[in-house]
Amino acid sequence: MKAAGIRAALAAAAVTVALAILSAQGRGGAPAAPAPTPKTGALIDITGYWVSLVTEDWRYRQFTPPKGDYVSIPLNAAGRKAADAWDPARDEAAGEQCKAYGAAGVIRMPTRLHVTWQDDTTLKLDTDAGTQTRLFPFGQPQAAAGSWQGVSVASWDQPRPIFASPIPNRGGPTVKGGSLKVVTTNMKPGYLRKNGVPYSAGAVLTEYFDRFDIPGGDSFIVVTAELVDPEYLTTPYWTSTHFKRQNDATGWRPTPCAAR
Amino acid sequence: MKNLRALLCVCVAAAGASLLAQGQPAPAPDADAPSGPAIDLSGYWTPTMHEDGMERGPGSELADYGGFALNEAGRLWALSYDPSRVTLRNHQCDAYVTPYQMRATGNFRAWEERDPHTQRLVAIHWWAQVTEGHRIIWMDGRPHPPAWAPHTFRGFSTGKFVGNALVVSTTHLKQGWLRRNGTPESDQADVTEFFVRHADHLTNTTVVTDPVFLTEPQLRSNDYYRAPVDHGTWLYACDDSEQIVGRAPDAVPHYPFGKQPYAREYSQKYMLPLASTLTGAASMYPGFADTLGNTSDAAAAALLQPAAGRPNETSKAIDPEPRDGEIHVFPIREHVYMLAGDGGNIVVQTGDQGAFVVDTGQGKLSDKIIAAINGLSERPIQFIANTSFRSDHTGGNARLSAAGMDPSLPGSFFVNSAPRAVTGFFSDPLRHATMIAHNNVLTRMQDNNAPLEAQPADTYLEEHRRKFHNGDTIELFYEPNAITDGDSLVVFRRADVIVAGDIFTTTQYPVIDLKNGGSVAGEIKALNDILNRTNYEHEGEGGTYVVPGHGFLGDEHEVVEYRDMVVIVRDRVKAMIDAGATLAQVNAARVTADYDTRYGSNTGPWTTEMFVDAVYRSLKTGK
Repeated sequence: MKAAGIRAALAAAAVTVALAILSAQGRGGAPAAPAPTPKTGALIDITGYWVSLVTEDWRYRQFTPPKGDYVSIPLNAAGRKAADAWDPARDEAAGEQCKAYGAAGVIRMPTRLHVTWQDDTTLKLDTDAGTQTRLFPFGQPQAAAGSWQGVSVASWDQPRPIFASPIPNRGGPTVKGGSLKVVTTNMKPGYLRKNGVPYSAGAVLTEYFDRFDIPGGDSFIVVTAELVDPEYLTTPYWTSTHFKRQNDATGWRPTPCAAR
Repeated sequence: MKNLRALLCVCVAAAGASLLAQGQPAPAPDADAPSGPAIDLSGYWTPTMHEDGMERGPGSELADYGGFALNEAGRLWALSYDPSRVTLRNHQCDAYVTPYQMRATGNFRAWEERDPHTQRLVAIHWWAQVTEGHRIIWMDGRPHPPAWAPHTFRGFSTGKFVGNALVVSTTHLKQGWLRRNGTPESDQADVTEFFVRHADHLTNTTVVTDPVFLTEPQLRSNDYYRAPVDHGTWLYACDDSEQIVGRAPDAVPHYPFGKQPYAREYSQKYMLPLASTLTGAASMYPGFADTLGNTSDAAAAALLQPAAGRPNETSKAIDPEPRDGEIHVFPIREHVYMLAGDGGNIVVQTGDQGAFVVDTGQGKLSDKIIAAINGLSERPIQFIANTSFRSDHTGGNARLSAAGMDPSLPGSFFVNSAPRAVTGFFSDPLRHATMIAHNNVLTRMQDNNAPLEAQPADTYLEEHRRKFHNGDTIELFYEPNAITDGDSLVVFRRADVIVAGDIFTTTQYPVIDLKNGGSVAGEIKALNDILNRTNYEHEGEGGTYVVPGHGFLGDEHEVVEYRDMVVIVRDRVKAMIDAGATLAQVNAARVTADYDTRYGSNTGPWTTEMFVDAVYRSLKTGK
């Protein structure tokens, strides 16, 4: 009787293990819910129309600064040399009026953004300044290398420990929100500012899009960016750029790139 | 037994397998709960300054207000600002208000404060190297102080974790800068901040809402990188050591409206239209540069002075006085309390003697005032001092006096040995407190047929009256011809508290009552006399507290800003008088345009026009 009881308990345990594993793998019992897509599992919603608030580096962003005016940017000697060689007429002649509208520059423009889901795995960001489109695929890159907007890869980002805690309820609180992280490489060389402050083809742009809501109803996106470009910069270049939510497309005015 | 242990192990393994297979973290406590930080700010942080590096490092350029949502008052305040103002003794150690402090150069250090018994997060401390700015962000759910509580450069901050951000709400800020070129932030500003950390990159976004100087919220962000070791230099020694010999005590550096000598310097240097930096919120948005061509130079130049033909703006400040029919007690220091709720502020000092009360309110809530004082003092009210005869400061005299007694008189020579010398109000001191004021208060109250029991009988005539009471030296200083001809400052020396009466308020322009002996010169002198008796505890704040006749408890920073305002308006009116202007012309010039959104009123017992009128007539009569 005692042996039979133990055998029954062991059998039950075996079943428990099997069920647990099957359940965890989504193959046990009722059909498991489909895994969330980047769209359905979005940590924050940044879709809609947004307008830039040019409250920092105002003169450099609202107007085209004169040649050689590159205060605040950690340029190395090669970067300064390239900036000092800025010639907008040459850019126009070469059909490169969009050099300041590449991924590392366009977000700093006075612009409106229109952010939509192109599909379940790709966010699309349009700017009316320069009429540019950036694609943020979660997974496989979609854009061709060497374009103004480069090749971006998106992910939802949350602060997480390096290792998951092996002990239930001892891993610390779960963060509910998060950021959109976008890493962009393979950009066509362009300008950080319209006056020819350069970034190179080897530059790596890492951006975090965070959304904040304030009392009174306004919502903002802050894009925290790091540009690493050893060819032209002595250190990573950090900026944080702001956009306020609009209810509609008011003010949306696509304009061509301008070199001056 | 072995098999049972094996069963237990199998079940635990099953649970573990399930969790690992799902890739989900274990159920967790509420991340928004005060105990559970979503991000950790602890450590050493260095600002990158890759944005606005010139402004934040060497310094901002004059008349560069581009990208700020300044309203007319904010723009004019900034244009009037002369950087030499920081050479004034009471400005030399002004600290930075939080929105600017977070943006300033210098290093930062953050650490957590936890309850030692529960380990719950109580506060996050944020120390700024420049100005030794010490912020405390309370995380324990405590409420913000009442509207009549003091303001500080750092303000009062509470925080909570929302998503991946620490969201901080800050109120009770002092007047300060949004930019070091005088771009103002008022003491009515509130700030919402978002701290987000991406690995060792911390971003602080500040959203300033300021109804006095801004037309819409002002958003800026600051980036910091985490430093692996202590920066080492955390002190910022400052005292008012800079001396400018021979400068008049009523001199406040400022530029007259329309005569800012550097107003065009920035735009000319960078070949921008003059209007570019003067148009407020529009300058923040796309398309701004395209619209500037529509603004003529004359129209741009008009922005350098108040718009003509416009009515005076009115105060956008919140009312700091409770109007709920209750008396609210605010402890100041050393058994000295401020009581708010019945018109003018009341101060009570307690100790082993009877309570010493300064001013008695307007008399509508006297019973509640007496009850509040009885809750603070074991002994009845012994002395009442009046800072002026104004009814919102003497309205409760009769009731409060009748509720008190002065035990220093019975058994004294006057009563026992020379009873005939004791007459009138002094004749029965066990039935009332003794009321003290300058003799002109008594005279004015008699002229106004105030009840005898409301009149202060123990008056003084000279410039100074002293008492040692409840372990503190209490001094009354006569301020002739300030608001009236009977004003007193009441100074609690040990407690380091000055009761200013209506010489200083945080709610309105000074009520310079010409008919009853007030004058603008006397008001400025009185404010300077306050400043000659104050000291700050740290970087321009704290130290001596100054109780205003109305409004929130201040320190020397509030007084010096108020003094500056009166001097600047005086100077503008005087310049117009010297140029032959009539009162109507002075009023039409809107000489208070940069202060009206803070102090102005077009209705009620004391309007902006009445104030300007008082300044004009006072100057015309040589007062």
